Amino acid sequence: MLAYTFKRLLALVPTLLAASVLVFLFVHLIPGDPAAVLLGDSATPEDVARLSREMGLDRPIYVQYFIWLGHALQGDFGTSVFFRTPVMDVIAGGAETSILLAVLTMIWIIILGIPIGVMSATRHGSWVDQLASGGAMLFASVPTFWLGLYLILIFAVWLGWFPSSGFPSIHEEGGLLNLRYLLLPSLTLAAPNAALIIRLVRASMLDVQREDHVRTARAKGLHPARVAIKHVFRNALISVAAAFGFTFAALISEAVVTETVFSLPGVGQLVVQSILRRDYPVIQGVILVIVCLYMVINLIVDLAYAWLDPRVSLK
Amino acid sequence: MSFLHSVRDIFRGRAMGTAGLIWLCVILFAALAAPWIAPFDPLDIDPVNRLTEPGWPHLFGTDHYGRDTFSRCIYGARMTMLIGLGSVAFALVTGGAVGMLSAYFTRLGNFLMRGIDVLMAFPALLLALVLMTLLERSVVNTIIVIGIVYATTTARILFGMTLKLKREVFIDAAVCSGAGHGSILFRHILPNLISPLLVQASFIFAFAQLQAAALDFLGLGLPPEVPSWGNMLSESRIYVTRAPWLLLYPGLLIILSVFSMNMVGDAMRDSMDPRFKDDIAGV
Repeated sequence: MLAYTFKRLLALVPTLLAASVLVFLFVHLIPGDPAAVLLGDSATPEDVARLSREMGLDRPIYVQYFIWLGHALQGDFGTSVFFRTPVMDVIAGGAETSILLAVLTMIWIIILGIPIGVMSATRHGSWVDQLASGGAMLFASVPTFWLGLYLILIFAVWLGWFPSSGFPSIHEEGGLLNLRYLLLPSLTLAAPNAALIIRLVRASMLDVQREDHVRTARAKGLHPARVAIKHVFRNALISVAAAFGFTFAALISEAVVTETVFSLPGVGQLVVQSILRRDYPVIQGVILVIVCLYMVINLIVDLAYAWLDPRVSLK
Repeated sequence: MSFLHSVRDIFRGRAMGTAGLIWLCVILFAALAAPWIAPFDPLDIDPVNRLTEPGWPHLFGTDHYGRDTFSRCIYGARMTMLIGLGSVAFALVTGGAVGMLSAYFTRLGNFLMRGIDVLMAFPALLLALVLMTLLERSVVNTIIVIGIVYATTTARILFGMTLKLKREVFIDAAVCSGAGHGSILFRHILPNLISPLLVQASFIFAFAQLQAAALDFLGLGLPPEVPSWGNMLSESRIYVTRAPWLLLYPGLLIILSVFSMNMVGDAMRDSMDPRFKDDIAGV
């Protein structure tokens, strides 16, 4: 297991380096002088010349890359063109919202996805199963922003139960009660992903149900509920755990949209706003941070998978 | 076996898949016959009749410029088909080529598949967003960007399948009988991959709709003047409290189309070669 962990960790390095090259080249691929691009339309020629010198644009491109990477490794992605503050501070400012949103969403996914999936599998073929699978497929087909807009319309505008947008920090007045601002966004974000987990739990439980050890458990007269939980569900969870990496990727993508719909001051909205503002240092920084995070989560998921199912690391 | 026979075999006894196929045919028909079905010009501005409720003569009401929502929905079907078919074609051709060649020529594969790994390190929408910043908003660019995103998954799936096929005895037989690389790839391997490719195509089509709608919504997809369902939603979001129906119809059309495509994909996967079933993941 330790050797496997080490091997996987080592394999991360080249991919991450290649991703950093892409993120670095990204600004250089935009037509025009990168310094002018970074400074935006309002920059004077003197500003551009000064930044060009500072950025070392007169040096060979690989030298520039290593200098940039050196800074990036120390958490220094430069200064935001829009906010005039270090990029890392800008990203950190959105972290609270996005992390809380992710946690709440995961809770929804687990409390909605797993029980419905289990129910669907244990009553395979019944109307409960058909309703659950059909519903899951339908929710997986709904654009997140559309669902979000209608949730705002119904629960915030018509019923007035929840705030429609924004999120004050939980450190501000209201404390943990401010989490109610994240209730509709997290539900929006959870819907398509919970749908995915329902389908996965159902499919993997149906797979496990066909295995010999389950037949043995049934044959020795165990209670069906006990077989379902201890023998089928526990083994089915292994492949569900493996899917959480995929879910996380979907979550990041959809968080970008959801945070925009609900005007949440998170990292997802920062991505979109920075792109629309052409704030390239922030785009570079935030994309690299998200890619790192995504890869680390994938690694953790894979390691958890190998730990749950020892056959994986032996392959 | 003729084409119609195989279609019949796939959809026989699969009610949801059949319903999905019928709906997609309706969308295709609307896309092709849009100028004859749409009662109004989708771009015609009529400031007097802005934000009118659904009724006659504006079946789905009008938007903030007084444009007829029903006609725009009909023309939106064109964009749906164009984006869907375009990105599917792009993803299958590029991703398929990379995947097949990588599995067949192992040394090249080591290099190409690492590149795919790097692209897959970016979450799908994020990759699309980054690529869109480099390009102008246009139909072709949207197709290319979504195509690239799904080319990565297609490459990985086809890589696995081609590796499996390469170990089959009939490939050894072809090698022994002196078949060249081109002949083995195109006459022996590719025909076996057609049905999984079609299944993959249906899922990409479904995902592409959601991605394109998301890009439109964020203001980074199709040009704003193009009547696509995503753009319609994006434009009318600020009128959601005054004219909620503006969001209803394009939204329902997206949901129905994505749902139908997934159903068709499911039906096709169920009737597919069992060897490859685990390789393709739908929704």
